[in-house]
Amino acid sequence: MNCFEFRRLLLADPRARTPEQEAHLAGCAECASLARGMESFEARLHDAMKIPVPEALADRVLLRHKIRAPAARAWALAASLVAALGVGIYFYRAPGGEDGPAVMAIAHVLEDEPQMLKENRGVDPVAMRAAFTRLGLNVPADGTRVLYFDTCPMMGGASKHVILQAPFGRLTLILAPEQSLGPRAVVAYRDRTALVNPVRSGSYIVVAESRQAVKRLEQLLM
Amino acid sequence: MFETKTSKFESLVRAYSTELYRYAHWLCRDRFVAEDLIQETFARAWQGWESLRDDRAARGWLYTILRNEHARLFEKKRPEIDDAQELDDVVDAGSGAVFDQFEMREALEALPRTYREPLLLQVLGGFSCAEIGNMLGTSEGAVMTRLTRARLALRKASGVEARRKAGQR
Repeated sequence: MNCFEFRRLLLADPRARTPEQEAHLAGCAECASLARGMESFEARLHDAMKIPVPEALADRVLLRHKIRAPAARAWALAASLVAALGVGIYFYRAPGGEDGPAVMAIAHVLEDEPQMLKENRGVDPVAMRAAFTRLGLNVPADGTRVLYFDTCPMMGGASKHVILQAPFGRLTLILAPEQSLGPRAVVAYRDRTALVNPVRSGSYIVVAESRQAVKRLEQLLM
Repeated sequence: MFETKTSKFESLVRAYSTELYRYAHWLCRDRFVAEDLIQETFARAWQGWESLRDDRAARGWLYTILRNEHARLFEKKRPEIDDAQELDDVVDAGSGAVFDQFEMREALEALPRTYREPLLLQVLGGFSCAEIGNMLGTSEGAVMTRLTRARLALRKASGVEARRKAGQR
């Protein structure tokens, strides 16, 4: 093996080292020096590629999976019941811990909202009103400003992430049409409180700094 | 049977979501889109679970799903750059001796996707040139050429090559 061939292989895959490469290294000081330099270069390259990963990413993936998959199974079950018995009624309750969606929502708010606000894409009032109406909710009235309205990165699909500035504090509302997030639950986690509430055509989650703020927003929505 | 599938799926999510997110982020360069891609990747993995016949192949399988999903959503907007593209614009972008992580990231972003993608699969994913060739639908030799050119470009941008050559004189 000559120097050219050694360097071509080194640049293509610095981790791989054939016996022929080892033999060349033993007898060529210049290539040995290049190989040592490549080790630190590769470490820097690897570090540069390791961009920060959002907190609780795997938990969010699994949460959304739990929301999607049981719904699909439940529809399949309902369809088979209708076919077999001519009965279209079934009851479905989301599996897993009841705190799951609330805790995930709080983690999502704490982790992602600062960046979401920085990248604010503007609020479409018509789309926002439609999203509230779809769940049978009122758009919070006077004194409450909408800081952010877009698809919720945590829930995806038709869900909406709304950040509100109310006289009693900043709040987050996640609207999840056609999704069951389990029974009503109020959960305190870190320094936030979250309410998960099923409604007639989906669910919503409120995240606020206090239980009182959650309650006040809930009153505005009804 | 279902429980086994569920627990295996959860293990895959926990084991690979971090590195897949990084790969997705380098493909689309948007944190929210990257997370959406991860969600869709695992959703499709769940739907296509039966096609995974060997657990040891799960990692490459997930990378391929992610790459396909990214292509499905975005490739029409971002045409592939062919192998013959000159790297001169990239290699001149370096700022000399001081080349920190931020600048390395900028240089990586400036690399044509044709060069950046196999590099990500090798450095982040740990795949061999042959495996990358299978994933990208090209030959092992073509992958080696792209990797060589990618590293040369990054080394020139970082001033490593200039210092090495100066040391030889």
